[in-house]
Amino acid sequence: MMFTIPEDIEFIVPRDLKETLELMSKLSDVKVLAGGTDLVIDLKTGRFKPKHVIYIGGLRELKYICDINGALHIGALTTIQEILDSKIIAEKTPLLRATAEKFAYWQVRNIATIGGNLCNASPAADTAPPLLVYDAVIKAESVRGSRLIPIREFFKGPRQTALKRDELVTEIIVPYKSLENSGYSYLKAGRRRGYDISLVAVACAVRVERGIISDVRIALNSVAPIPVRAVSVEKVLIDKKPSIEIIEESSRLVVHDISPISDVRAPSDYRQYMAKLLTREALLVALKKIGVM
Amino acid sequence: MKVKFTLNGRLVELDVDPRETLINTLRLRLRVKSVKRGCERGECGACTVLVNGNPVTSCILLTIQVNGAEITTVEGLVKDVLFERLAKNFIDSGAVQCGFCTPGVILTAYAGIKQGKIRGSEDVKEYVSNLCRCTGYVKIIEAIAKTVREVLSSEH
Amino acid sequence: MSTEFKFIGKKTPRKDAEAKVTGALKYTYDLEIPGMLIGRIVRSPYAFADIRRIDVSEAMRMGAVVITPSDIPQKPYNPRLVSISEVTFKDTYILTYKPRYLGEPIAAVAASSEELAQKASESIKIEFERVYKPILDPLEAMKPESPRIHEKIMKGDKWIEVNNNIAARLDYDEGDVDRGFEEADVVIERTFKTGKRYHMQLEPKAVLVIPEPSGKLTIYTTTQTIHNTRILISQLFDIPESRINVVRVPIGGSFGSSIQTNYLVPIAVALALKAKKPVKIAYTREEDMLDHSNFVFHFKIKIGARRNGVFTAAEFTNILDVGAHQVQPYPLLGTSLGWFVSMYKWKNIRYRGIAVYTNKVPGCALRGYGAPEVQWAVETLVDEIAEKLGIDPVDLRLNNYVGRGEIFWGQGPTVRSVIRSDGVPELLLKGREIIRWNERGNPREKKGRFRRGIGVGRGFHTSGAGGPISGEVIDYTGCILKLNEDGTLDYITALQDHGGGTLDAHVKIIAEELGIPPELVNIATASTETTPYDVCTHASRGTYVGGECARRAAQIVKQRILEVALRIIDRAVNPEALRISYDEGLKQAIVYVEGTDIKLTLAEIARISWQRNWGTIGAFVSYRATSAPPSFTVYYVEVEVDTWTGIVRPVRVVAGADVGTPINPDMVEGQLHGGFAMAWGMAFTENTVYDPVTGEIMGRGLITDYKIPTAADVPIPEEFTIIIAKTYEPTGPFGAKGLGEAAMNPAVAAILNAVYNAIGIRFYELPVTPDKVIEALEERGELEW
Repeated sequence: MMFTIPEDIEFIVPRDLKETLELMSKLSDVKVLAGGTDLVIDLKTGRFKPKHVIYIGGLRELKYICDINGALHIGALTTIQEILDSKIIAEKTPLLRATAEKFAYWQVRNIATIGGNLCNASPAADTAPPLLVYDAVIKAESVRGSRLIPIREFFKGPRQTALKRDELVTEIIVPYKSLENSGYSYLKAGRRRGYDISLVAVACAVRVERGIISDVRIALNSVAPIPVRAVSVEKVLIDKKPSIEIIEESSRLVVHDISPISDVRAPSDYRQYMAKLLTREALLVALKKIGVM
Repeated sequence: MKVKFTLNGRLVELDVDPRETLINTLRLRLRVKSVKRGCERGECGACTVLVNGNPVTSCILLTIQVNGAEITTVEGLVKDVLFERLAKNFIDSGAVQCGFCTPGVILTAYAGIKQGKIRGSEDVKEYVSNLCRCTGYVKIIEAIAKTVREVLSSEH
Repeated sequence: MSTEFKFIGKKTPRKDAEAKVTGALKYTYDLEIPGMLIGRIVRSPYAFADIRRIDVSEAMRMGAVVITPSDIPQKPYNPRLVSISEVTFKDTYILTYKPRYLGEPIAAVAASSEELAQKASESIKIEFERVYKPILDPLEAMKPESPRIHEKIMKGDKWIEVNNNIAARLDYDEGDVDRGFEEADVVIERTFKTGKRYHMQLEPKAVLVIPEPSGKLTIYTTTQTIHNTRILISQLFDIPESRINVVRVPIGGSFGSSIQTNYLVPIAVALALKAKKPVKIAYTREEDMLDHSNFVFHFKIKIGARRNGVFTAAEFTNILDVGAHQVQPYPLLGTSLGWFVSMYKWKNIRYRGIAVYTNKVPGCALRGYGAPEVQWAVETLVDEIAEKLGIDPVDLRLNNYVGRGEIFWGQGPTVRSVIRSDGVPELLLKGREIIRWNERGNPREKKGRFRRGIGVGRGFHTSGAGGPISGEVIDYTGCILKLNEDGTLDYITALQDHGGGTLDAHVKIIAEELGIPPELVNIATASTETTPYDVCTHASRGTYVGGECARRAAQIVKQRILEVALRIIDRAVNPEALRISYDEGLKQAIVYVEGTDIKLTLAEIARISWQRNWGTIGAFVSYRATSAPPSFTVYYVEVEVDTWTGIVRPVRVVAGADVGTPINPDMVEGQLHGGFAMAWGMAFTENTVYDPVTGEIMGRGLITDYKIPTAADVPIPEEFTIIIAKTYEPTGPFGAKGLGEAAMNPAVAAILNAVYNAIGIRFYELPVTPDKVIEALEERGELEW
């Protein structure tokens, strides 16, 4: 453990996106630094010892929130606090706002970026559940061009993503049209009432048309190597009439979608129990938002 | 790497190692000691400074990240009316014990009130996450809530 | 007793508040001196190992100053010098080839920058002779087949063998316990276990050692006792005390973690002596967690009572998990017994206390020194007995507690006092009303997701460790008070303010005694060479012992002032008609002759005394209290348990304190708020958990996984009511007693008794994390879902 970052790590500050991508194609053993709320600590404690660190925090071209054709395009360097303060987000993607509200605490929100949170790919990544619910798409760019990675294919394992070595996440596309009439909710369980890493967090959106559930999406973090969609639960709920019984019955099925571990924060039993509980509650809260139940 | 920023209103131009954290630049190069090292992991808030008016934990920020920004520490707020009100209420309420967390707490509260995010006790609990081991927070909440009431009533 | 004080009892801003608020106040961590080297400690990666060789060649090639165990006097020591030497157990070495906990200092380097020092420390290669499996359970450690963590240690100046990893023992018997249990109608026996808490004082430990050109050593460090630090360094390095000066520096909280001299101090001294340059070492937060944490307490307690609610016997077995080195667990065995015995009139008592070594971070005192743990256990049992007997828990306490007129064992068997002030009935009865105790309901009838409950906890702490006879604990203090040439005062003491406002309290006591406004009394800078000995600012003795010493000094100064005044007043004045008091109009003290218009301001007296060569008016006092009276505290807490998540939140708190005369009511409240928050953490979240295979703290010591309460976890100010009892302690300065630890001690019990009242489940192991609540509800078949 130490105070400072080791000397043998080279820091490079590219002037623009183009230069960044060129560097990433040329160099290997690279870590990209955006806000740094995870990476700076990891560099200080020696968890990561890359040869190069490319600092992109100054690239203003990656900071924006635009509403285009039924989807919000969020620049990867938008901070969590900016997401929390944004009127467009509040209006169009309120589930994302609800998540930002429970993200760490103010000092960290002012620095942490949505791109960084995703690329760090912690199983506890806060922005993952809402983005999974929105079926967001992640834009990855490199010198070879750009590609769109659906979020469900983005996480490969703890701290591992689908990004190729030379790719940089530049934008997160959050389609909101399909959730316009859905009720949503976000619940996060911690060890104390204030500010904590999630033990379990659930994001949920549900739509009811003509008395039956026409669309339901549930996502969780901290209960599996990667953030997941609770497909077992969703499958059972689709086309059903919402009732307390079906909600309770289906929530229990979330155990099939998760594999929580025991660690110093909580035993796996408790995580599993909370996953079921929060899934149920998230559904009920989301339904209540649209006046059902 | 060359960086330029203002610290408490004065322009600072430095050539820093990109690995240098903001807390080290402030404490060791610029001798600003009000910024405290409590954990160096961004958890305790004792190192809080304002960057463009927003509170951040300076221990996990690299100095190159604040290029072009306005940085404020308590040393720079001494003549500020809101800060003076806050400081007076902290002192009068008994919200200061060992004092190690105090600069970070006051800066966070200051920013919260200025940005209209803190309007009462519940907001203090929402926005002031700094750790304090001495006071149990009650007097801190009181001092900040009192300051907010004073500010709001003086606005009418 | 007059409650019409001029300064005492009024809220006054603390003298250092402005410096703290503007960030101008410098702590050890902030100190810098040109040419200083930065030190870093090389720590053992194994919890239980023997080292064959340490290769420092690379570090030396880098130009760093390096020390290994071979460079250090191999004298075992104990970093805490509060006990007399005959019962001081020494098993620590400044640097060692035989690390006994993961993180123990093996070697150290100093270099011109943090980075260089870090590089140098990382370049050091350690070869291990043998690595043992760490022993983390004291019961395991005591088994005959377990390897010995220490083989020989010193007790005083004698070497003793350590068997079965037992560090110390203390037994006590009073009366006939077995008969007492036979006579009981109800007997309850329970085992209790705590977590291993960490102080989490906001300022990590630091030290700056400066070798002066004159050959002296100047030391600045985070300490609660500059004098004991000086004595220890003198003993370790064979340097006369007169060549060591330890300077008092503001400290960012302590809670008992610097009663002992922290391990980095002798290491920094050794580096500075070798380098012949100033050396500063400052811990990272993780290192701080490796330097000290609390003991783990294992209790087995059996209590017997008769149907009418009178106790007949108590048996208390106390197994203390010491960690790898002793920071005086022996006196802790004594204080645990003392707290236990002083809680209630048990009539017959049997106590068996054993302190056991394990391969963990050494345990040291944490606010309360066993009292929060003992009071948690006792108050839980008292509640259980009350329930079994069908007696109201508050009444049961009132009828059995050790109170006014009875003997109180502050700080253990050799420190006993008669209780002269007792606010317990007032606090219990008033608090009961305010919290609406009679509406608390029965846990069995509570249903639904959110369930509320109210619990009570009653406790105390001692004020210092004074006594009529000198025993095993050193406790005395001293101060100098002098009148300056303009009528202001300098107050010089070695006592330290950890944040609770102790020194400001002394100022007010001096002010009250002399009639001089507190603004004119200066708290002087202090160092070992300018102050009389003070053992340590701990045991909540700052106000009671330090304050009384200050008052006596003020009394002497007052006498001398009046003598001088007499000389100035060129008339035949009857000395007994001279008075000194505070003049509101002039805002200073005046000496006057009652019944006349003769008066002089203190400023005039001081000036004339100076101009006429009459000498300095001052006092030098060394003082030992003959008593260590208890300050009683009572907590009523209402909690709300979320039976779905297992998370508990505080709804309302009524905290009552009997501090005799409150010198500064604001500070009294601040201690109670802080004590409650600390108790909340103890109850629900705080624990350093050890990996059973490696003996490493899980989470690697990052406070991400050591959660203390935040502002979001405490009740809103409107729901925290404080009652200060109207009592007066005749042996204390203007009737005052201490509070620092009493403010926390019974709160844990109140909180967990409240949880019981909410959900009908008692917890005997701390911390009660959310998963434990859910597990308990599930076992009872009560999980709603």
